[in-house]
Amino acid sequence: MRHASFIARTVFVHNNDVEAACRILNRILGREDILDQFRRTRYFEKPFQFRRRINFERCKAIYNEDMDRKIQFVLRKNRTDPFPGSL
Amino acid sequence: MLRNGLYNLLKNLSISENGVQENVRTLVTSLTRCRDVVDRREMLRSLPKPDEGTVGERTMDVDSSIHERTDRFPDIDTPNRLFNGIAFKDLPVFNIRVSPNNTIINVTDAKGVPKILRSCGIEGFKNTRKGTNIAAQATAITIGTKALEKGIKTVRVRVRGLGPGRMSAIKGLQMSGLQIISITDSTRVSWCPPRPRKRKKL
Repeated sequence: MRHASFIARTVFVHNNDVEAACRILNRILGREDILDQFRRTRYFEKPFQFRRRINFERCKAIYNEDMDRKIQFVLRKNRTDPFPGSL
Repeated sequence: MLRNGLYNLLKNLSISENGVQENVRTLVTSLTRCRDVVDRREMLRSLPKPDEGTVGERTMDVDSSIHERTDRFPDIDTPNRLFNGIAFKDLPVFNIRVSPNNTIINVTDAKGVPKILRSCGIEGFKNTRKGTNIAAQATAITIGTKALEKGIKTVRVRVRGLGPGRMSAIKGLQMSGLQIISITDSTRVSWCPPRPRKRKKL
């Protein structure tokens, strides 16, 4: 993971709004699994822990995906005005 | 006529339509070409395969902020862009080293020659009090004012590590009156690290 410094993982601050920049940076780091990997490699992960974590993540991903689909299915609608009669 | 039908089919089958989260743009990696349909087999081949696998098998979530047309992120011209008359690559750097137990802030010039160093321990916080966000903020404010006395005004910030001082150190630097141009994360992360130490017993 060697990249040009101040090019990779860099966010510019606009209008002195440091917090917004930090939020963007942290969101990207979180989404890309960089922070999780950092935390995970602080201590050695024994093979049984690795196995359990991977299995758990797999199950969670399947559950989340199906749940998302279910929610989309329940929330689907085919009308122009979702709340007819209300202003 | 046939082409219109194909467009509608494509629209109905579009993978990006099911399960799109807010603030996320879906990138479809499968090739969807539009060509003149000659026969049925050709038409079937041009259709995207129905995706019944997991999310991420053929589609990928890309952070939507990356596609916004704002100069939030550096590009090729960034090193030579001027900030207050100084090129980006020549701006002094504030290195913030955050750990669970301490926060160390080090000012270097663009070449990496250290100028000032200050940590929560030097600041007077001892033992567990070092590893607090208040200590980090106080340290950041002192080092910021010191840097201002030396004539350092416009800076880049580089943060490494995770800990309670991560956010508050940056905030403290801003409170001391420095103009922060960019925030970089240089946390050292490896996907094939040497074996780390054993886990702590609980």
